[in-house]
Amino acid sequence: MQDTYSYIMLIGAALFNLLIFPGGLFALGLGVLFKGLDRKIEARLQRRVGPPVIQPIIDIIKLSGKEAMIPETAQRPLFQSAPLIGFIGMAVCAALLPIPGVSGGLPYMGDMLVYFYLLQLPAVALMIAGSSSSSPFGTLGFSREMTLMFAYEIPLLMIILAVAMKVGGSNFAEFSLMNIISYQEEHGQFITNWVMIPAFLAYLFFLPGTMGVPPFDIPEAETEIVEGPLLEYSGASLALFQLTSAIKNIVVLGFGVVIFFPMTLGGNIAVNILWFAFKCFVLMLISCTFIKSATGRFRIEQAFGFYLKIPAVLALISLVLVWFNF
Amino acid sequence: METKQHETKSFSLPLGPIHVALEEPMYFKLELEGERVKHVDITSGHVHRGMELLATKRNFFQNVVLTERVCSLCSNSHPLTYCLAVENLAGIQVSPKAQALRVLAEEIKRTASHLFNVAILAHIIGYKSLFMHVMEVREIMQDVKETVYGNRMDLAANCIGGVKYSVNLELIEFIEKSLVRTEKHIKEIIDIYATDKMILRRTTNVGRISAEDVIKYGLVGPVARGSNVRIDTRKTAPYLIYDQLDFDMITETGCDVHSRAMVRLRETLESIKIIKQIIRNIPEGELNTLLPHIPAGEAMARSEAPRGELFYYVRTDGTDMPLRLKWRVPSYMNWDALEVMMKDCEVADVSLIVNSIDPCVSCTER
Repeated sequence: MQDTYSYIMLIGAALFNLLIFPGGLFALGLGVLFKGLDRKIEARLQRRVGPPVIQPIIDIIKLSGKEAMIPETAQRPLFQSAPLIGFIGMAVCAALLPIPGVSGGLPYMGDMLVYFYLLQLPAVALMIAGSSSSSPFGTLGFSREMTLMFAYEIPLLMIILAVAMKVGGSNFAEFSLMNIISYQEEHGQFITNWVMIPAFLAYLFFLPGTMGVPPFDIPEAETEIVEGPLLEYSGASLALFQLTSAIKNIVVLGFGVVIFFPMTLGGNIAVNILWFAFKCFVLMLISCTFIKSATGRFRIEQAFGFYLKIPAVLALISLVLVWFNF
Repeated sequence: METKQHETKSFSLPLGPIHVALEEPMYFKLELEGERVKHVDITSGHVHRGMELLATKRNFFQNVVLTERVCSLCSNSHPLTYCLAVENLAGIQVSPKAQALRVLAEEIKRTASHLFNVAILAHIIGYKSLFMHVMEVREIMQDVKETVYGNRMDLAANCIGGVKYSVNLELIEFIEKSLVRTEKHIKEIIDIYATDKMILRRTTNVGRISAEDVIKYGLVGPVARGSNVRIDTRKTAPYLIYDQLDFDMITETGCDVHSRAMVRLRETLESIKIIKQIIRNIPEGELNTLLPHIPAGEAMARSEAPRGELFYYVRTDGTDMPLRLKWRVPSYMNWDALEVMMKDCEVADVSLIVNSIDPCVSCTER
């Protein structure tokens, strides 16, 4: 009886994490809000008025009421499931995200390696979308997305290893996000640790790549390949892609906050949630909004070279320093 | 289908006729191998409006209005060159005052047109802030147009035998003030385009065309000057009062997209220089003359539109309607050279290269 009860509680907590907080509604709402703020700030930087902050919500509501067209030549099952794959991946990711001082995310699962794999799902979804839509723009977007993913995965993997080895110390490596948070609470945040600063910089470069904003919006370049993989999508499927990208922003920003500066402000839950959101927002401003309005777009081979030359080297420096126990 | 039969790795990518990066409808069928363009098929004719036929159904006055509507960005060059051709035919002497005012309209339009093209370059490489900045600077010139002529694009400045407007002291002061502002901003913009790493990375060594090819394909305008070919109708065959003005022919040696953009940017400074010279020295005189009977015969006129040399030919039989009105626009030649520029380029650069010739499809297909 006791077992059944705790089992139900566990499932209930998991569902809560998945659907309401920190995944589900919370991540969705915050993600969409961030998108709106991002657009507004970018517009102000370009001396435009910009859309209202709730514009992304309006877009998503409008899109979900529209008919979804499927090209005749598309491979229907793949074409229709692609947006779901990305969305589910990100929904789980958001549920796993521990929010320092508030929630630990889905119990027993908050692991950086799980994250590393799940984070690639939206990109994989875009690739499936691009290749199954039978549009030549989609095909180009597919190959570009794949190249870009390889490029930014390399620094990401090294960042994760550097963090894990730093926390693990003599146990070699520690991948649990909760342990990473408690380690930093004891030994100080990684952002203040000179050994980890190169890794943090590398993470800053990783963010625009994975969020698909300039200078790395190559797979969806509007003026080159007219949105690439998303070209053939419409209606609810397109809305799902936008939701995915909104949650993904929160996931990658939150992940950055957790592994580099998870410090809390006292014990108040509401304050900590706001503090977390604020840190995510600052991270977005630095890595996405400002860079986006101060630069153009790379060519794909230039982006690939860039990731191997700068972020990968930065991450490697941290990794080597950690390896030699600095 | 074809690609499957040959079992090659290439596939075809349609670009246009409606495409975000193209200002006007053109259709390119690209044969790609991965990201590399192997073959380009250019199809035109999407905005054919039969204007040359229309011109023969209208009298000489009405054709000034018609030619103004050939294209929006060179909407002053068309009626101007048409008027020059008709004036050549009828032997009309245009007063020095009207000539100076015609140059003024031409150079204001040229500045705005060049800035527009350079802004689109920034838009294509995804540099939206720079796009907004350049467009804002262009907006100063748009304001000048609106204040002086009452219109932002179609100035309706020309008529056969002269011009329709004059500038008073108040307007001259306004124009001068705007020029100072524009010049300051353009110098900044030139600095950005010449040094910004992202722009250099995307535009240098892209869409190259050698000086020999420029001559072989008969290219004109900033495209030719970007490959260090000294062609500028204002210098090589001066019309209006261009031979009395002090300005330089801008050339660049890069032969690529970047040098074409730099030619355009530096030319805007030359245009401002020209406007500054004439605006305080507009001679006294009549704005236009009485229109004599236009005799049977044929005549031509050339001028330097923002995109290059514009040529008008008119043939008449003594009635009030032309028998034939034919014009050749700069984009017609420049367009053809796209296949040279696009040879083995990347898909990412296609729209950049198309933009670099500043194509005016509505002129070319009229």
